[in-house]
Amino acid sequence: MASTAAVPFWRSAGMTYISYSNICANIVRNCLKEPHKSDAIAREKVHFTVTKWSEGKPEKPSKIPTLNHQSSVSIRLDLAGVSCAGVGLS
Amino acid sequence: MGVLPGHVPTIAELKPGVMTVHEGTDVSKYFVSSGFAFIHANSVADVIAVEAVPVDHLDSNLVQKGLAEFTQKLGSASTDLEKAEAQIGVDVYSAMNSALTG
Repeated sequence: MASTAAVPFWRSAGMTYISYSNICANIVRNCLKEPHKSDAIAREKVHFTVTKWSEGKPEKPSKIPTLNHQSSVSIRLDLAGVSCAGVGLS
Repeated sequence: MGVLPGHVPTIAELKPGVMTVHEGTDVSKYFVSSGFAFIHANSVADVIAVEAVPVDHLDSNLVQKGLAEFTQKLGSASTDLEKAEAQIGVDVYSAMNSALTG
């Protein structure tokens, strides 16, 4: 028996809640007055360190630097044999 | 939605908008980008948001420009995803606009 609850427009367009929430947050961050705006943007900078695994052993980790959080949300990793460790906050 | 001590335990999904906190007679308004509010049985309420800023941290010129820009994007969007992103922009900027002018 399917439920008939209405789906939000962003979900029916294929977006996940986390993408929606991050887009909203970016919009709010970009509308701040200085110095709050630069503080917020600096606070939200992230980079990812990705380690590929093969045969039970980790290979050399590689960094994915991201310019802003919004682009990092859309990174899709092939999770078979990859570990994403050490999300760094600068 | 108003929350007082003794509120029934609730989990609520928040839309972009203003959250007003009353501490005695002090009132502070925060703009919440989106998120959730959890009201527990022991009258503790948690609000979880990626961004929650005092309303006077918002720059109304940037809000007006953004609203105009995204309204225009909504008109010219073609794919579902573009339409959704433009709609999100319009919703958030309109909410910030109401927060600043309301």
